[in-house]
Amino acid sequence: MATQTPSKAASSWTAGIRRGTDGIRRWLNETMLAGRPLIWYVTGWRFAVIALVVAILLPLVPTSAYSDIQSLLVAMISVFVYIMLALGLNIVVGYAGLLDLGYVAFFVIGSYTMAAGTYGSINDFAGKLHDLPTLPFILLIPIGAFIAGIFGILLGAPTLRLRGDYLAIVTLGFGEIVPVVFANIPIFFGQTGISATQPAPITTPVGIISFTDPFNHAPFYYLALAVAVLVTLGCYALRSSSIGRAWVAIREDETAAEASGVNLTRTKLLAFALGAFVGGIGGVINTAAFPSITPLGFSFAISITVLIMVVLGGIGSIPGVIIGALVLRLFDVFLLQRINDPVHQSFLVAPVNAPLHVLANVDFNTLKLLIYGIVLVAMILLRPQGLIPDARRRRELKGVGAAPEGVSAVGAFEQEEAGMSAATTADVLDPSEYTGAGSDAQGREG
Amino acid sequence: MLTLATVMIPASASPVGIFFQQLEIGITLGAMYALVALGYTLVYGIIELINFAHGDIFMWSTVVTLAVIQAMGITASPGPVKLIGLLILLLAIGMLVSATLNYTIERFFYKPLRKAPRLAPLIAAIGASFILETIAQLWRGSSFVAFPSIFPSVGITFGSVRVNLLDVVIVIVAVVLMYGLERFIRLTRMGKAMRATAQDPEAAALMGVNINRTISMTFIIGGALAGAAGVLYNLYIAQVWFFTGFQLGLIAFTAAVLGGIGNIYGAVLGGFVIGLIEALTIQYVPGGFAWADAVVFAILVLILVFKPSGLLGQQIPNKV
Repeated sequence: MATQTPSKAASSWTAGIRRGTDGIRRWLNETMLAGRPLIWYVTGWRFAVIALVVAILLPLVPTSAYSDIQSLLVAMISVFVYIMLALGLNIVVGYAGLLDLGYVAFFVIGSYTMAAGTYGSINDFAGKLHDLPTLPFILLIPIGAFIAGIFGILLGAPTLRLRGDYLAIVTLGFGEIVPVVFANIPIFFGQTGISATQPAPITTPVGIISFTDPFNHAPFYYLALAVAVLVTLGCYALRSSSIGRAWVAIREDETAAEASGVNLTRTKLLAFALGAFVGGIGGVINTAAFPSITPLGFSFAISITVLIMVVLGGIGSIPGVIIGALVLRLFDVFLLQRINDPVHQSFLVAPVNAPLHVLANVDFNTLKLLIYGIVLVAMILLRPQGLIPDARRRRELKGVGAAPEGVSAVGAFEQEEAGMSAATTADVLDPSEYTGAGSDAQGREG
Repeated sequence: MLTLATVMIPASASPVGIFFQQLEIGITLGAMYALVALGYTLVYGIIELINFAHGDIFMWSTVVTLAVIQAMGITASPGPVKLIGLLILLLAIGMLVSATLNYTIERFFYKPLRKAPRLAPLIAAIGASFILETIAQLWRGSSFVAFPSIFPSVGITFGSVRVNLLDVVIVIVAVVLMYGLERFIRLTRMGKAMRATAQDPEAAALMGVNINRTISMTFIIGGALAGAAGVLYNLYIAQVWFFTGFQLGLIAFTAAVLGGIGNIYGAVLGGFVIGLIEALTIQYVPGGFAWADAVVFAILVLILVFKPSGLLGQQIPNKV
């Protein structure tokens, strides 16, 4: 869109904030991070190994049954589920550049697969109960994933021809309809919801591992961790595969990608199906861990929360998305309760005219959504590449900005081939440089 | 569809009577949907952005006018003369609130993203919608608040079809606003600038159109129409809730797409068609309340798949 005069100072209040935060960032880098940007520490295999070791050791911290460590483990199970969801949505939004606002639908489908597969009976449309064979949990993970993937294809096939923003609204509609369908058909007990049977104990040489022991959440923790790690590895493999490159090509320029021989519909459909597949896995694991589900518990807020995780961490960036999910979900299920309860309790006894008494009436869960909204807007306006931007994108943009005329495209591609490890030592990120190059490179496509 | 739960249908009516009664309800609803749909279509026409926060702009009009009427201590119909004054006052406040909000959001959230990739302003709009909803929720709570019924329930009955005075007023107010908009866009300088910008922003800028001012004006007009719709909604449905904007916004967006997004006549047509479809769904589909939303979405998907240009829109080839 043409702004007639380059009066940037007047029009873009975001530039001022960026300049201000730039100083803080540099100061942080120099004083606390030994001159390296934060991103140097949180990407690459070193960090991955440390994070994994910490995650594995966490349940081994000696603890009593009701301690914070046990509730942290429960929170972490949910964190792992959201990491899966965020990685799955990242395939759709980050790799293929398709905005899916109804991702919760696939989470619902996975959840109901788990519940229906273990509950043992279902209603028919007349409300009569029928027995249903139950399936082992380990089988239900792929089944849930496949069913969700099939729904991804069913949704995607007619709609993927649409332009990006229309697609966003259609997926949003799908995300709204799926819970409504489950609430209004009696098969899975409508609005009452359904309860899954948790996985049966496994007998191993070292003893019986129970997944339902309320005093020991470690088995489930490890299970969720293992699945999350597998999903992460899968995402890395996908990214560097030929299909991953095709997604990036579509994301950057659909018309050019098509001209270069990428089959648009099939490639997009695959992104949709795989994103849905991962969402289904997340649903199965979540329902196995937290077995009571009601259809109306799955709302648009979940879709948005997962989207915020992706945007916060860095669209397309696997480490970014994982950290985005970790931060937001831990905040949600672990920290928030620890703020909410003490504040409310302390004001319960305080006199009404005490300072800050108004906090007693604040619902911190609603406040959380407000913070989420602000985070989403702030990230898009101030740091659209996310906290930990995708290494490939950074290199692409650097290539565009720095290379002499005429060789930029080839240069960027060769850099890409040179290997992923180089990316981890990339120097200080300059957001203003990014947005400058990004908007020039991507421009305004019709 | 929660919003319709308060629209009562007389139980003892003939099938034909029921049908026409539903048509009457559908037209009244459609008038409100059309007003909101116009905001979507104006903004999309000019900067190709689905203003996701538009439904919440509408919701804020309902919330603020409720606060106003509570502050005035009005709980029942104040008599004909005062009622007209009150109605004008509420409309003015609702339109002002929504127009200001829409303008502010455009200025601070969308304007810095003019040159960003397409999805960036859409994500900003989603964030704005979230912020508007949660502030309303923090302020008014999570449950429905009743809007006092300031309109006397007078009306005329044709056979078994009852037409309330309120319904007539709603349709008249909506139609007057739509006609005003049409004249504005057709005849004024600013309207001409809006049409030019919608056609080709760069060429319009070269011809001396102030693009930024034109875009701001579009948001102000769209917001004002949504604000008026909010007041009418308060009078008709009389339930104020922080989440109404989300639902009604999606319905109105569907209406805009159905009519052909970017086309103001299309938005009006789409609004009335969707209103009618919804009223008929609730009557004739078993368990209609629960499925009304799903039907609207199914329509949206079908239009987008088979006729993305809508009823009155033109097919625009993809720009490279």
